[in-house]
Amino acid sequence: MPTATTDSPVRTALRTGPVTPRRRARSGRGAAGRSRAERLAPYVLVAPAALIIAVFRLYPLGLGVNFSFTGDGDRNGQAVGLDNYAALFEDPLFLASMKNVGLLVLLLPVAVAIPGLLATFIYLRVPGHRVYRSVYFFPAVLSPVIIGAIFNLLLAFDGPANALLGTVGLGPVDWLGDPDIAMYAVVGVHIWATFGMALVVFLAGFATLDASLIDAARVDGASLPRVVRHVIVPGLSRTIQFVVVTTMIGMLTSMFGLLYVMTGGGPEGSTYLPEYYIWFQQGQMGRPALASAASTVLFCVMLVVGLAQIAVLRRAGRED
Amino acid sequence: MKRRALWSTALIAPLALYGCGSAAGPDSGSGGDGGTLVVWDWKSGDATATSYVEAAKADFAAKHPDVEVEFVAQPFDQYYNLLGTAIQSGEGPDVMLFNGGGQLRERTDALLPLEDYLAEDMDRLAGWEAFSADGHVYAAPVTLQGHPIYYNKALYTEAGLDPEAPAATWDDFLADCAQIEEATGANCFALGNKEGIGIQFFLSGMGPGVLSPEEYDAWIAGDRDWTSPDVKRVFEMWVEAEQAGLNNDGVNSTAMFNDEFAIFDAGDAAHVIGLMSDVGHWKDFAEFIGPENVGVMPAPLANPVADPSLPYDGGIGYGVAEWTEDPELAADLVRSLSSTAALEAFYADAGAIAADTTIDASSSGPATAAIVDQLQTGKPALHVALSAETLELMGRLSQQLLSGSVTVDDALAQLAESDQAG
Repeated sequence: MPTATTDSPVRTALRTGPVTPRRRARSGRGAAGRSRAERLAPYVLVAPAALIIAVFRLYPLGLGVNFSFTGDGDRNGQAVGLDNYAALFEDPLFLASMKNVGLLVLLLPVAVAIPGLLATFIYLRVPGHRVYRSVYFFPAVLSPVIIGAIFNLLLAFDGPANALLGTVGLGPVDWLGDPDIAMYAVVGVHIWATFGMALVVFLAGFATLDASLIDAARVDGASLPRVVRHVIVPGLSRTIQFVVVTTMIGMLTSMFGLLYVMTGGGPEGSTYLPEYYIWFQQGQMGRPALASAASTVLFCVMLVVGLAQIAVLRRAGRED
Repeated sequence: MKRRALWSTALIAPLALYGCGSAAGPDSGSGGDGGTLVVWDWKSGDATATSYVEAAKADFAAKHPDVEVEFVAQPFDQYYNLLGTAIQSGEGPDVMLFNGGGQLRERTDALLPLEDYLAEDMDRLAGWEAFSADGHVYAAPVTLQGHPIYYNKALYTEAGLDPEAPAATWDDFLADCAQIEEATGANCFALGNKEGIGIQFFLSGMGPGVLSPEEYDAWIAGDRDWTSPDVKRVFEMWVEAEQAGLNNDGVNSTAMFNDEFAIFDAGDAAHVIGLMSDVGHWKDFAEFIGPENVGVMPAPLANPVADPSLPYDGGIGYGVAEWTEDPELAADLVRSLSSTAALEAFYADAGAIAADTTIDASSSGPATAAIVDQLQTGKPALHVALSAETLELMGRLSQQLLSGSVTVDDALAQLAESDQAG
């Protein structure tokens, strides 16, 4: 608890302010009133932010969790204990959505490696690297709905992608209609749409890389893969960690638009993600309490992922 | 300095709080009070529904000149999400639009029984079944929605078939399809099952030719035997049609709205199980292939004892929220929204088969006439009797049936379980 004698950040901030007006204020009033005001000031200053978080974040969160223990439909408002959670873990759709979260985690290295590799090529100044730098970033400014619509056309059964496959003698692939392929197609489109941002972060990381190290490695006769493996990757470890964290968050929280436009959760429920499942149960099935339970589970998953990421970032900070 | 900080805190805090809370705007969409009725729908924003809304407003204003009616048009794809939130909070519109069937039945807790207010309209309007649950009526039908089997008469002619005498049995139908495909290259069915809705149309469109009249009526009444050979036959036909190559390619990745209908519009498929109102219907098709080429056929018989009839229900209808302050006033608005004058405007502009049986629809081409002719003998569609959960499961299973990852027996067992639980 900050008191008049401790060094709270707020007090420090006040102390570093201009000295003259403070003296004037002190001379005008009694010492007791001053010290009480000084004691209260940090609380008052923090209060709006704390209130906003408590009223608009924590309280609704508590309400939501509480709501997940009530029933839907006929049992609306009644406490049903863990029934909703039991229903969730029996629902093949929800299990499929959790499985897809696992798939996203498995695909994360690919989503990080692609921008990393391309950024390396740009850094190493392959011919036309300036053009590529802007071209790669371009999809990042398009909304998921537009991207979804574009790829709906490209990946349609009688669309250009299959026509291209046809010209090289390969059979058509039902990109968005085959349950074994659809999720990869959507994740692929998501990576295509978002890797530009990670690429920019990588390029910023490269800017801090010591060029003399690479030159030294080259003089020593190291091949390109060895330069990448032993010089570039260690030098970029913090950038890579940052990209891993942000890419993971992006995959877990911003695929809804693409799923909605491209597959609608199908075929056969193979492209559900928890977010889409929550929206579906709440709105389409009229089961808000079940959706709350799913939200609570998703919140816990994100909490674990988030804490793990904070731990990773902290460790990276310490290495520094 | 400190005092200034305190003052600015005191000033900023409420501002910040107000800023956070004001995203919804003052009183938007809240329940009517002081002579205002709020209506939620997804139609009133369409240009084609303008005359309908005007006619309904005029009808209501004549009865209650001092009451204002506010239409709030919501986007359809978010409609039930928004409505769910309103229902959860126990406040929202006084009058709201519903699709008949599951969407309404799942929310009857939030609706007022209207049979006492609407007694006079019972004979004039058709399609009540879809807006009724447990012996109560919860909404008045505006349009009728059904699933006629449309066919392209030009393709029939091109294939050397009589366009006025489509096949009456499933076997003849298959033979005709083979002939059409050979002569014109067109598929038998335009089908899009990306959303899992294709099976609903197929069940309702083809079911009348498979289920005996007794079994059909029992199904609608809630006594559904998922193990019966006839029900199994419908799902076998669904698989058979795909395996025999009757459908266009990539059914599970083709959207029904509107890629499926675009295939039929383009003359690339000879048949489509469409709708009667709104989209994917006689008016849309007539624009592309000409009104004279749009045919409507009864379900081909796959069971000699079946007696096919037009499957249709109340399509959309307005209901009254149970939290409304003056139920009689709101019910009067519902009556205005389904008055003959308003529905006539809706039929003429929006291309919908209106729920009012007194409207003359014979001038809109042979397909419309054929549909309206069959309204008297028509029965509720099979899929409309199912719960939203079962329909969702059926959508997923239908995709699995097409890809061969589930057997018909297994699918039916899952559906029976879901149907009995609901």
